[in-house]
Amino acid sequence: MKARSHLYRKESYYGYLFVLAPVVGYLLFTLYPLLYTLYGSFTDWDGLGQMTFIGLDNFKDIVADELFYKASFNTIFMMIGIPIEITLALLLAMGLNRKMFGTTTFRVIYYVPVISSLAAVSILWQWAYNGDYGLVNQFLALFGFEGPNWLTDKYTVKPALILMMIWKNIGYSMLLYLAALQSVPKDYYEAAALDGANSWKIFWNITFPMVKPVTFFIVVTKMIGGAQIFTEVNIMTPTGGPEYSSATVVFYVWKKAFENLQMGYASGMAMLLGLFIFIITLVQFRLNERSSKDME
Amino acid sequence: MKKSLLAAMAATLVIGGVVAGCSSNSPTDGSSEAGQGGTKQISFMFRGGPEEQKAYEATVKKFEADHPDVKVKIITTTGDQYATKLKAAITGKSVPDVFYFEPGDLRAYVNAGVLKDISEYVKDVDFDNLWKRGVDIYRYDGNNVGQGSIYGLPKDVGPFALGYNKDMFTAAGIPLPDKEKPYTWDEFIKVNQQLVKDTNGDGKIDQYGTGFNVNWALQAFVWSNGADWLDATNTKVTIDDPKFAEALQYFADMQNVHKITPSIEDAATLDTYQRWMKGELAFFPVGPWDLATYETLPFDYDLIPYPAGSTGKSATFLGSLGIGVSSSSKNPEEAAELVTYLTASPEGMQQLVDAKVQIPNLIDMAEKWAADTTTKPANKAEFLRIVEDYGKPIPNTLTYNSEWYQLFFTDIQPVLDGKLTAADYVKAEQPKMQKLLDKAIEQEAKSKK
Repeated sequence: MKARSHLYRKESYYGYLFVLAPVVGYLLFTLYPLLYTLYGSFTDWDGLGQMTFIGLDNFKDIVADELFYKASFNTIFMMIGIPIEITLALLLAMGLNRKMFGTTTFRVIYYVPVISSLAAVSILWQWAYNGDYGLVNQFLALFGFEGPNWLTDKYTVKPALILMMIWKNIGYSMLLYLAALQSVPKDYYEAAALDGANSWKIFWNITFPMVKPVTFFIVVTKMIGGAQIFTEVNIMTPTGGPEYSSATVVFYVWKKAFENLQMGYASGMAMLLGLFIFIITLVQFRLNERSSKDME
Repeated sequence: MKKSLLAAMAATLVIGGVVAGCSSNSPTDGSSEAGQGGTKQISFMFRGGPEEQKAYEATVKKFEADHPDVKVKIITTTGDQYATKLKAAITGKSVPDVFYFEPGDLRAYVNAGVLKDISEYVKDVDFDNLWKRGVDIYRYDGNNVGQGSIYGLPKDVGPFALGYNKDMFTAAGIPLPDKEKPYTWDEFIKVNQQLVKDTNGDGKIDQYGTGFNVNWALQAFVWSNGADWLDATNTKVTIDDPKFAEALQYFADMQNVHKITPSIEDAATLDTYQRWMKGELAFFPVGPWDLATYETLPFDYDLIPYPAGSTGKSATFLGSLGIGVSSSSKNPEEAAELVTYLTASPEGMQQLVDAKVQIPNLIDMAEKWAADTTTKPANKAEFLRIVEDYGKPIPNTLTYNSEWYQLFFTDIQPVLDGKLTAADYVKAEQPKMQKLLDKAIEQEAKSKK
């Protein structure tokens, strides 16, 4: 490599400086805690005092822990909301992408929950789900249905949480889809229309493939986020729901770590959760790669 | 490494950050100005409702005025974030000089060297004028709680009394409950049934007898029936005692059989607390921390002893929250000074009592406070009786951790719904809880090393 100009060096110096902040932040707040957690998971540690190395004992206990399986099942179950949310978000985005009166207003309405505080939203929905005078049951009563007590019934607590999360998050996915839809070149649609393609064919052969990168992004981020549900569960069902039916893995990790003085054990569960997230993310990248190749 | 593998890893680490800790909600730090030349700065972390926070902030201001060389940096959080924040501070070795702690965590904090033994700093405190039960919760000799060195003083003691809506009794023409003689269980059901009413004639019931939250009210029924969660040594779970099952069944039957509570499935506090405040419930527990809020109740209320089971004696729990000093504090003397100011000094205590967020820790002040029957509730003496006579600590504070106790309430919904009998429940649940308790005991032994 030849000597670079002075200007170039100066520029790259500032470049590094700008990159430094996130890199240091990452090392300090992500990588260091991650390694610390990894070490903690091999120790008997109450989160206060000494860490005693105990090898794989925590993991042996975790694989025999009934509640860990329950929490894992709940976490995965609640991911049912993801495909529902994505489908609805795409449909909404397509609806709002047309030139119609009031679309801006609707976009705002759908996006408002996204920017609201999750804690506030959770408290609001806790009231809405109240069995006696909650909004949800009052609404159902208009049609003559007597709604259950959503959050204290082990069969309805998960659907109730899923519904709330869809409501909270749909605006975000919708906005991403909206941006993707608007970048699809209009001539594709015109050409297809000339060839006489019906709207289903147009959707399936043009719209859907064109927004695929966005779909991929949403699926990956949603699944990572979905594996880490905590705040809404902690606020709406502070004891983990009837018979632990709404406890998620992160909720259980938090209970163990901060309430029951088992930081080592909790670190072990966090590592397993991290591994799980890594695997599902990897699988999705692989699938995406394969289907991209198919298209070429 | 393949590209997809790398990308997936980056995505997981960056978006996930799962193991780095899940909290994205940072509690608000209300901080005061930093100390200037010659002054010593101590930090004080606490929690509480809005009324309590205001009262404590004002009292700390007064402390600063009385101690010009000390500046206090206040750190507050909401109740549900406090435990997380405190434990994170301990792990990160930046413990505030003065902080609240749960009595249940006393042993863990002492064994791990987090709490400072403040015995030598509190010598001037007149312990004869402080509730002995309240102070003993914070004594620990390395083996038993209740004796030995002092590791904190009670912020307050929380007698969880039973209140009743006086106006409702008057309107229904029912004689007022006797504050000296508790109802028997049968009498309690009967008087409740008389009070369940459709007051506006729309065919729907809108006035109920009661609605207890199982987490906080079941103890009163279990204990007054002569049963308990633990044996005397705190090493055996005793919920399979028939007396225990009887009390739990009675509790569940209030909803399912006698129909004296708002709805069959519902035991969440939110509803019954609000119903009580709207004047739709005849009986509801009253804690001292509620007194300021209850000032505005649209009806007259008073305190009575809880209905008594087979022992014939009323029972309830006496909660407490400690204020301790960090063993890493650079100014332990000033820190302990703040602790005694907030818990045991007439100046500090008067201010907190006037704010109506607690009962006085000082016995002489408490007696004067209770004797004033012109303020609500008139029978404040019931609070003091609980503190001096029949209040007991919640079982989860007696063990190293409370996982075993939490399990009891996690699984209890089917009993409350009437889908499982109490007898079957306690039989199935006892071994599971015992296993967790054994683990906690084992953990405690290890922590002493």
